[in-house]
Amino acid sequence: MASPDITSIEVLRSQLAKAIQLEHATIPPYLTALYSIRPGANTDATQILRVIVVEEMLHLTISANLLNAIGGKPDLTVKGFVPSYPATLPDGETDFTVGVGPLSPETLKAFLKIERPAMAPAGKSRHVVRKSDDHSTHLCTLPEDATLRYYSIGEFYAAIRDAIVYLDQQAKAKGETIFTGDPKRQVTSEYYYSGGGKLWPIVDPASAAKAIDLVIQQGEGKTQAIFGDSGEIAHYYRFLQLDKNRYYQQGDSPENPTGPALTTDWSAVWPIATNLKLAALPAGSELYDAAVAFNSAYRQFLALLTRAYNGEPQVLLDAVPRMFEFRNLIQQLICNPLPGGNGNAAPTYEI
Amino acid sequence: MSEAAEFDVVIVGAGVAGALAAGQFAKSGLKVLVLEAGPDTTRDLASYNAHLETFYTASSKGAETPWPPAEGAPQPDGADLFKQEGYFVQRGPHLYGSTYTRTFGGSTLHWLGVSLRMLPEDFELRARHGVGRDWPIGYAALAPWYDRAEHAIGVSADVEEQRYHGLTFTAGYDYPMRRIPPSYSDRVLGAAVNSLEVDLGEERVAVRVRSYPAARNSIPRGDYQPIGALDIGSDGQERSTYIGERCEGNTACTPICPVQAKYNANKTFARADRRHLTLRSQAVASQILFDGVTGAVSGISYKRYDDPRSTSFNEEVATGRVYILAAHAVENAKLLLASGPQSGEGQVGRGLMDHPALYAWGLAPFNVGAFRGPQSSSGIEDFRAGGFRARHAAFRFDIGNDGWRAATGAPDATVIDAVTNQKLFGRQLRTQLADQLSRQVRMSLAVEQLPDPDNRVTIDPAYRDKFGNPRPVIDYRIADYTFEGMAAARKVAARIFRQAGIKDCSRSTAELRFPTAIYDGEEVHYHGMGHFAGTHAMGSDRSNSVVDEFQRSWDHPNLFLLGSGSFATMGTSNPTLTLAALALRTADHIIAKLHDGG
Repeated sequence: MASPDITSIEVLRSQLAKAIQLEHATIPPYLTALYSIRPGANTDATQILRVIVVEEMLHLTISANLLNAIGGKPDLTVKGFVPSYPATLPDGETDFTVGVGPLSPETLKAFLKIERPAMAPAGKSRHVVRKSDDHSTHLCTLPEDATLRYYSIGEFYAAIRDAIVYLDQQAKAKGETIFTGDPKRQVTSEYYYSGGGKLWPIVDPASAAKAIDLVIQQGEGKTQAIFGDSGEIAHYYRFLQLDKNRYYQQGDSPENPTGPALTTDWSAVWPIATNLKLAALPAGSELYDAAVAFNSAYRQFLALLTRAYNGEPQVLLDAVPRMFEFRNLIQQLICNPLPGGNGNAAPTYEI
Repeated sequence: MSEAAEFDVVIVGAGVAGALAAGQFAKSGLKVLVLEAGPDTTRDLASYNAHLETFYTASSKGAETPWPPAEGAPQPDGADLFKQEGYFVQRGPHLYGSTYTRTFGGSTLHWLGVSLRMLPEDFELRARHGVGRDWPIGYAALAPWYDRAEHAIGVSADVEEQRYHGLTFTAGYDYPMRRIPPSYSDRVLGAAVNSLEVDLGEERVAVRVRSYPAARNSIPRGDYQPIGALDIGSDGQERSTYIGERCEGNTACTPICPVQAKYNANKTFARADRRHLTLRSQAVASQILFDGVTGAVSGISYKRYDDPRSTSFNEEVATGRVYILAAHAVENAKLLLASGPQSGEGQVGRGLMDHPALYAWGLAPFNVGAFRGPQSSSGIEDFRAGGFRARHAAFRFDIGNDGWRAATGAPDATVIDAVTNQKLFGRQLRTQLADQLSRQVRMSLAVEQLPDPDNRVTIDPAYRDKFGNPRPVIDYRIADYTFEGMAAARKVAARIFRQAGIKDCSRSTAELRFPTAIYDGEEVHYHGMGHFAGTHAMGSDRSNSVVDEFQRSWDHPNLFLLGSGSFATMGTSNPTLTLAALALRTADHIIAKLHDGG
């Protein structure tokens, strides 16, 4: 393992905390796009988005399990955990932003970039100097030097995986291990369900590598494979189906899906404002109150998740009804026009 | 048996019994054909959700609302009860109030999911209480298949809570998933009445509110993986949905679980080995063909249609080594009767049973959180057994989580009453509704019925459906044994309400939506539970039954009749789990015979 970026357990913990933040950061954009679809319309897009949101929640939980496995403490309530949208993500040499807005061909493009399989080309550095001329939340930065970020999400995870192997080997040489976390803090399938696959306790390098591979395969894949080992379609290709108006099936090439046809009616979507902020809503208006109510419910949800990831996995059972609340609270916002004719309201995720 | 048979096993009916048997056959490498009368519109998510939309948009919401039948595969409907039309020809004197679903997946599409085992004494009603008849097998013989059935369909319960009335379980056994959490109203009612003792004749019975085993997904035990919503594409591939891996408490188990957290037979087909399984929908079995010499079945003639809205069809014949009717208690009997030579000394179709049921409803003294959770999650099982069964029927209660929905049509009916009768509006109306609806409590009092040879399914050339197949003609009478059970159940319900401080509203609303009978000078409004049983009962010899303990026809050696039609008596348990256990047992028996070269 030549010159790993992550040279201590403390740095590994802080990078895994960033992984938790990264996995969560995709949820508000996806969830908002999902709920922006008008009731009953676009059943294919609805199902594709829903499956991806659910798998992101699995990845979030896996990241928390990883951090717990090496003695860290996930905290989804720290200031700045939820990005100020639009957030900045790496796309090879350039950055791109992902925002909170309606499902549209443009948001689909951003979603495809999030999920695009990309590793640094051979001979190229996996580090890229990020632009420093804005104040948005930058994800996938290097440890300690936030002016550098990884070439891609895939590289970000590859660095974590390398570090786990490297640091555990170092520890083993001293008769120790980095897997010092209490196994009782692992969230397993008993309490986590309908969520993109099974969860297993992470207790050693092998179970940790398996977890990272699942995140990479389902999501920000590093290979060109459409289907993962378990027959699941990677997120990039799930989204690409919406662009190509056709489902993939086994044996297809990336360019040419041959499964059943599907269509998306881009007009059957609520015209919600993109990256709306509370400040744009008249204080004291019903919309303002609804936006505050949503943020408050979301904050409580993140607090419940934090408890669930800190030794109380059964709290996930209480977190589920909160998600039903989101749907109702989001609908109060997205069905109603903003004053001044700038589209409909939207959740602001200012937590 | 014919050398040229196309399949090893031909099964009529893609419901729970047919699915479980088909799954076992396919697993053992036998080639299986399943014929389903209804369309295949329940196995891909978009089509299933179209059924959901049909339900949402219907103004009247009955058990069959989401599942409209094809022209060639009509089905009974609750809305037909008071019109002299519909699929059943009802000759009375009492109306048979139950329905079933003729669509891929069968009545498990609309069932509630209650998965109780029959009690040991239910199998020996004649021996123990001098009424009804005895089964040729007992609880102990069936118990291993109950274990398997509970895992096959996915039942949620805690075994510790289910040991009562002599129910025993294999050492170390537990259900595949933990019990569905009791609702708030279950807990409130339990706290109020669990110390209550009720006198029933000479017996004193202690009441206990108890979770019942439910085929709805909950927290799994061990490696068990709950199966949620299916999405099988036109290409035959199953796509992940991440829906329904746990019950969400949508309060719509019957007539359609919006997330498929409740078992339906399609889940069994989805897990079956497709290499050996041929599923043929829109294929209405119309006649069993017999070998004139041996009486063996030589084929099943069926009418295949392309368009569910059309009355045109083509006739085809399916051949196998073994034939299974798993089409429903009524459809099995009807098909056998329509096919000529009768089995079992003219007993086919006789002994039709149900669990005629009453509702008891009232207002709790405070908010009990009605209209939340699955339609029900607990019951009262203490009156399912006892010496009183020599005199009157046993009964059990479901405790609803859905307010007075089933009994009065709440919440709509509550709104209508407040607006039109009480002339409320505005804030007053909202306050009143919030207050009343949240306090609504409802129990279903399901009462045992004994087999009576005069309660029967017959056919009559005068009554045919649009494909020319016979419509079932139903003769049905509720006997005093059951009416007396109803009276006892009503008294117990009133006592429970009193104990819990619940204001009994059961009699203050005239219920015109339900069949009416007169007993002891009083009107009884009862409803069917959908628990058809007894039309091809099993017995120890051909003189008293249609099938043997393996559900094999006494007269046709390669014909098996699956389902609750085989029940000799039905006790008080919902029939699905028992018919599932019997189906698995029969499948094992057939597999052993076929692999034996038989």
